[in-house]
Amino acid sequence: MPWDVIFFYTIAAICLFTGLLVVVSESPVHSAIFLVLCFVNVAGIFVMQGAEFLAVLQIIVYSGAVLVLLLFVLMLIDPDKLPSFYTARPLQRYVSLLIGLVLLLEVGAAIITRPAIEAIGPDTPEAIAAVGGNVQAIGRIIFTDYALALEMTSLVLTVGVVGAVVLGLPERLGEKARESRSTISLGHPRGSSDILGPGPRFETPIDVPAGRTTAPQGPRKVVMAKSPDDYTRAGEISR
Amino acid sequence: MDQPIWITFLVTFLILNVLLIGMAYVTWFERKVLARFQDRLGPTRTGPFGLLQPIADAVKLLGKEDLVPAAADRWVFLFAPVVTFMTALIAAAVIPFGDTVSIFGQNVDLFAADLNVAALFVLAVGGVGIYGIILGGWASANRFSLLGALRSAAQVVSYELILGFSLVGIFIMTGTLSLREIMLQQYETLSIGPFEISNWFILSQPLAFVLFMIAAVAETNRAPFDLPEAESELVAGFHTEYSSFRFSLYFLGEYISMMVISLFASTLFLGGTSGPGVEKYWGLGILWLVLKVVAFLFFYVWLRATLPRFRFDQLMGLAWKVLLPLALLNILLTAFFRLLANGQVF
Amino acid sequence: MSEITVNHFLFLSAALFIIGMMGVLTRRNVLVIFMCVEMMVAAASITLVAFAQETHTINGQAFVLFALAVAAAEAAVGLAIIIALARRGTAPDINQMQELRD
Repeated sequence: MPWDVIFFYTIAAICLFTGLLVVVSESPVHSAIFLVLCFVNVAGIFVMQGAEFLAVLQIIVYSGAVLVLLLFVLMLIDPDKLPSFYTARPLQRYVSLLIGLVLLLEVGAAIITRPAIEAIGPDTPEAIAAVGGNVQAIGRIIFTDYALALEMTSLVLTVGVVGAVVLGLPERLGEKARESRSTISLGHPRGSSDILGPGPRFETPIDVPAGRTTAPQGPRKVVMAKSPDDYTRAGEISR
Repeated sequence: MDQPIWITFLVTFLILNVLLIGMAYVTWFERKVLARFQDRLGPTRTGPFGLLQPIADAVKLLGKEDLVPAAADRWVFLFAPVVTFMTALIAAAVIPFGDTVSIFGQNVDLFAADLNVAALFVLAVGGVGIYGIILGGWASANRFSLLGALRSAAQVVSYELILGFSLVGIFIMTGTLSLREIMLQQYETLSIGPFEISNWFILSQPLAFVLFMIAAVAETNRAPFDLPEAESELVAGFHTEYSSFRFSLYFLGEYISMMVISLFASTLFLGGTSGPGVEKYWGLGILWLVLKVVAFLFFYVWLRATLPRFRFDQLMGLAWKVLLPLALLNILLTAFFRLLANGQVF
Repeated sequence: MSEITVNHFLFLSAALFIIGMMGVLTRRNVLVIFMCVEMMVAAASITLVAFAQETHTINGQAFVLFALAVAAAEAAVGLAIIIALARRGTAPDINQMQELRD
């Protein structure tokens, strides 16, 4: 039973299928979930190619950090404003599909007719095992031959962190919320919330006197928090 | 891998079963110990000493109505708790319960897999486990679940970083990422003056151990870091909308990850199966490992009984402003001392 | 196909890259476009590691390591830009973001 053949085709099939679903899904959150699955399968492919360190790094960095960040941003941006999948012109979809197929055939032809490269390098599997394994081999090379690239990468990451923090700061430091929130409602369905409208009657947590259909109108607006910022600023009284 | 594949399956099956039964009885253990801390008895009526309590709990939870909110994203809602539960179990695949022993003449590995990146594997799988929380919060179509989930995810990601950094010191000292080799290196004896003790890494990396324990408690969303899912906050956080079996999957997934992190900590810092008498009887090694895991679980419950809950900004401030610099300091010191020992500094 | 050769991995990588490319060309949501770009980077990584395996050099894997790190930094900054734009009222829609060009 050629296990590696079975594994390769299974992992490759799931990888391509989930990749396709990333492109095709209506909801961006579904796309993100499928991308996580795709990357876990890519990590599996790395393991098959003998790059175990890269496989776990792929999962830790991409699936475990970058995509979590992406999901955060997706979930915090107002879901009403997310554009739908279909572009205005379906022609664009068919043309891109055509281009994709043509390109796939072209690249496939290039792959089949490429000249075989000889295994001339020094890092044969025996040499890698002698050094102690994949991790040790990568460690040796990045700290000697590619030490400069390593330092530059750490610089890039530092600059990235600083840039992200600066871009995330509010427009003017110390400014108060643009819109005031006065009370946070734990599911009060009859507040004057213009987003939700009248809620289901069985959800009301308090006894509403008979005959009353809306919350008492007053200077305090009852709104639902739509983002963590709203939640933390909920204590501010409206001006 | 020179052992036939059915042995690997058998060992994996045994490990899985031990984990699942252990998880049920960790709940019993917690309730009893927590009760004693609070000057009461805990479960006593279901079976002797309340030992059948987990079974009673399971029957009760399974009997509840399984609600799926109407506005919820159905498939994601159904799969999110499964992700948490599965990843918690998968992480146990690389924990060594011993070295390769010979039973009835056949070489048996007392672990499911010996990866040469095993320590990172546990971190990676733990990282994928947060999707169970995020997706559970999102799929519930409940803004408060979502906020609780995002808070929990932010906490887990930050503390996962600390977890990883606290282990770098051990990697510097052992030169390998394989958990089996890290465990075997702790079998060697260290002579401190007239004493000869096992080379457990808790002695050479005390700061890393403290950081690891704090990060481990935060990773599993346990007290005092359990703000995102505490009962009095945010209406029980991301699993508000879950009931019956799905809720129990989250709940049990948390206990399994507690156990797996305890196993992980025992292997990395306390020598795993090392203890007196292991060279002759490998069964004793498993006993020592179990005792160490019970000690860690007791520590978890002790923390829950004793400390008040952190506020979310305090929690994040602790991770990024205190623990991360300490972890980096630990790495610097370990590297410095290692180079000093190798004679490469002066 | 009784054995997996390097060409198999190259095909897989090409297919994944092309799927990502089609996503970038077709979708309107900026975050999904971003996801497809990450998919393209992953496909390129598979190619690099495949060639590293074929020529028995480890440099390909080191390259992928650095590419991973740089892609993570790019992700952080890109998402911060999207959040900053969303705060000012621009939806994450690529047609609305054309104004950044000007």
